[in-house]
Amino acid sequence: MMLDKIVQALKARSELAGWSVRHTITHEAQVYLVGQNTEAQRTVMDERYRIEVFRKNDGPDKTQGMGVGDITVLPGVDIQGAIDKASLVAGLVSNPIHTLPASAPIPDVALLDDELKKDTLGTLKKVIDQMLSATSKHAEVRLTSAEGFAEVNTIHHVNSRGVDAEQETTSINLEFVLQSKQGDREVETFREFGRRRAADLNIEAEVEHNARFTLDLIAAGPPPNWQGPVILCDNALVTFVAGDHLTNGVLQSKGSAAAKYAKVSNWEIGQSVFRGEVTGDPLTVWANRCIPYGIASNRFDEEGLPAQRVEFIRDNKLVSFVASQRYADYLQLPPTGAFGSVEIPPGKWESDSLLSEPYVEISLFSWFNPDNITGDFATEIRLGYLVENGVRKPFKGGQLIGNFIDALANVLWSRKTGTFGHYSGPQTARFGNLKIAGE
Amino acid sequence: MTDLKLPASMAELRPTLPHLVAQGQARAPYFSILLSANQNLQIIVNNREERVTERPPYAGTVLSAFDGLTMRERAVGGFAQVDVQKAVQELVQGVQFAKYTPQATPARRGDFATQVQIDPLELSVQEKLDRCRALHRRAKGLDPHIVNVQVSYTESSDYSVFADHNSDLAQGVQRVRLFLVIFVAGEDGQVRYDWETKSAGGGWEKLDFSDAEIRLVIDGALALIGAERIEPGEYQIISAPGVSGTICHESFGHGVETDMFLKERAKAAHFLDKVVGSPLVDIFDDPSLPGELGSYFFDDEGHMASSTQIVEKGIFRRGITDFYSANALGIPRSANGRRQDYSRKAYARMSNTYFGPGTSSLDDILAQVDHGIYLDKWSSGMEDPKGWGIQVTCHYGHEIKDGKITNRVFAPIGISGYVPDVLQSISAVGSELRLEGGGCGKGHKELIAVSAGGPHLLMKARLG
Repeated sequence: MMLDKIVQALKARSELAGWSVRHTITHEAQVYLVGQNTEAQRTVMDERYRIEVFRKNDGPDKTQGMGVGDITVLPGVDIQGAIDKASLVAGLVSNPIHTLPASAPIPDVALLDDELKKDTLGTLKKVIDQMLSATSKHAEVRLTSAEGFAEVNTIHHVNSRGVDAEQETTSINLEFVLQSKQGDREVETFREFGRRRAADLNIEAEVEHNARFTLDLIAAGPPPNWQGPVILCDNALVTFVAGDHLTNGVLQSKGSAAAKYAKVSNWEIGQSVFRGEVTGDPLTVWANRCIPYGIASNRFDEEGLPAQRVEFIRDNKLVSFVASQRYADYLQLPPTGAFGSVEIPPGKWESDSLLSEPYVEISLFSWFNPDNITGDFATEIRLGYLVENGVRKPFKGGQLIGNFIDALANVLWSRKTGTFGHYSGPQTARFGNLKIAGE
Repeated sequence: MTDLKLPASMAELRPTLPHLVAQGQARAPYFSILLSANQNLQIIVNNREERVTERPPYAGTVLSAFDGLTMRERAVGGFAQVDVQKAVQELVQGVQFAKYTPQATPARRGDFATQVQIDPLELSVQEKLDRCRALHRRAKGLDPHIVNVQVSYTESSDYSVFADHNSDLAQGVQRVRLFLVIFVAGEDGQVRYDWETKSAGGGWEKLDFSDAEIRLVIDGALALIGAERIEPGEYQIISAPGVSGTICHESFGHGVETDMFLKERAKAAHFLDKVVGSPLVDIFDDPSLPGELGSYFFDDEGHMASSTQIVEKGIFRRGITDFYSANALGIPRSANGRRQDYSRKAYARMSNTYFGPGTSSLDDILAQVDHGIYLDKWSSGMEDPKGWGIQVTCHYGHEIKDGKITNRVFAPIGISGYVPDVLQSISAVGSELRLEGGGCGKGHKELIAVSAGGPHLLMKARLG
């Protein structure tokens, strides 16, 4: 076993103050459709070992510090040579001393779809078939392309402080494009989402939602100028609150110990996260890696820290920074590990009561990507609705303008909740006063 | 002159490729092999800590079998001959391939490497760390409002070998980027920041920061402390080269990737040889530009790099292609079949995409604006090839009054509008062409290195 050889080699290195090794094996199946036809079908096999070594060094002022070096290797490489290289790098820098995670009980978090693990490509093809069948029920729209990715990951993490943990995860991601045409007008919607289990993709509902959006886009008019209540629900709310896999999200960024240590977050434990008065529901947020089958869940994170459900913000006040071992040591905080999913408790409002007119509802953004340090955003709207006098009028375009943190200071949350990949919480939110720059 | 030095395991497998291609092609109408490896180093120096990280490398073999209908691929980690041999068998055995005759192509052979003066691979990690520390030292004490200065260096060495019945190609592409980010805090404790980046297909000779450039970053960050939100509406704008590039990239870059034509996702498909912009507008994609971040010698499907003129004097002429879509649509190839890494499929992707230069100086362009906005710096963009909507977010912009850039700053600023309307409104094009390197995704994934740019442009657009 190469992992054993790496561990033995690391144990024999007297110059190291600590080390960790992460062995990852990935099997992936990919299917790509153009229309109903398979454009490409791929299988991928990848195996790698990430070695991280820690050395104590003297800094420029002769105080002792610590350096970290890492290297990722494929099976069969020269282990000693790789460790030499990582150790050399670890000797170049001298940061304040920190520790590695110690051995601790690892919770049993459900992360595996057994069927997907057994037959990755077969399960993916079934999902694709379900999607084709679901789209065929909506005669007014057509599927123009789709991509599916199914993956099985096996991770074994070992470190010099006794962590020896394994986890197996599955994930399945789907993208599809629906189009509709009326006269010269052609429109499309694009949906991309992932879950750990194929069954949680809820394909029928996803296709139905997006078919409706596609048809509404056909009827969409120009965007209004608007300042007032804005409703977000389901996937639009998830993107707004929890970010996507490209943007870390404002909550995750401002609440990270790394940002605090770097002096780019001005949040303080015990203080309000808002810069003004809170006029909506009080904000409470959990950072949760324990949600069964959550796409941001795990048994342990990149450092080997066990999964936790961390009370992050309670009644508008920061309770804890989300901290890796390193930054927890630097700021003398308890280590929490990675953020995981954003969890918000149920609100007190029935969903219908949040829909008092007039309001604007936004269903699709081009890409909601606020500035993670300031929270400011100006983002294009792909599909929204102006709802007034009992009429729900779709529009496309215009920009939603504001500040993420200020927006959360004036929001009402629904009692009804749902779990959507990396967000668990109210399904509907009414933001009291947001601005839309229309035409 | 830089010689190509392939990783040893890749170089060892290369001589066996003709044999493996022949085995694959004995069953599949077209068969190709791509060996692809990259190594990445990142160095971060800020006021609080330093980090040297080897970003996860990728190294693997892609076997592709094509019958005119479906591209079947097997991607294997590493370059072990026994694994690749086995994968060839598994990929083609038992498959009923359709009949297909690949298009005749000229023989393509050669080894290529990025030309560098100060080769990052010849510098030790210590030397590169010291260069980052030196830049950090120059910036960190320059203003009392500074709370952190971060210098971030990344280097990426990409190697690939491509073989099919008619090709034996190898390349080494060296890319470097250096980011300087300066964070300042105002009296209210709110943090603002600005940055400057240097990037190149090349070496450290492209990464020098002048004192004036450092000062501009500090001034940019400080100006943001008092920045206002812009009153939404239509404005006369002048886009800085980076902003011009992002508009170009999101509109007639993503919008003309021909895999999107095939999927009927691109409005541009209906505008071939039609007017899409003002006669001042020329748009190119060119992976053969020397020294740019998105440059390479051949794409991941073995097509040799050359320039593609996408828009000529406001008329849309052609898109950028990958192998599959060009084949399915029956259109000529361009060298734009690119993969994020060996584990992902090839798509039609941009390389270096830019507006062609015009004849106006910036002063001449400014003189045409009574009241408008100078958009200094972009922060993000998203494509909309079907709807031709623009979403480009700018980190900040300055007010222009009576032909002069004032100290009044707005941030952030979103640009929106309908692509042809915005391009039609271009009324002056600057003479100085500049490209900026960055990362590009296809939708929300498939990240690759590209650059985009152009000259200063004078146009009208909705800001918010």
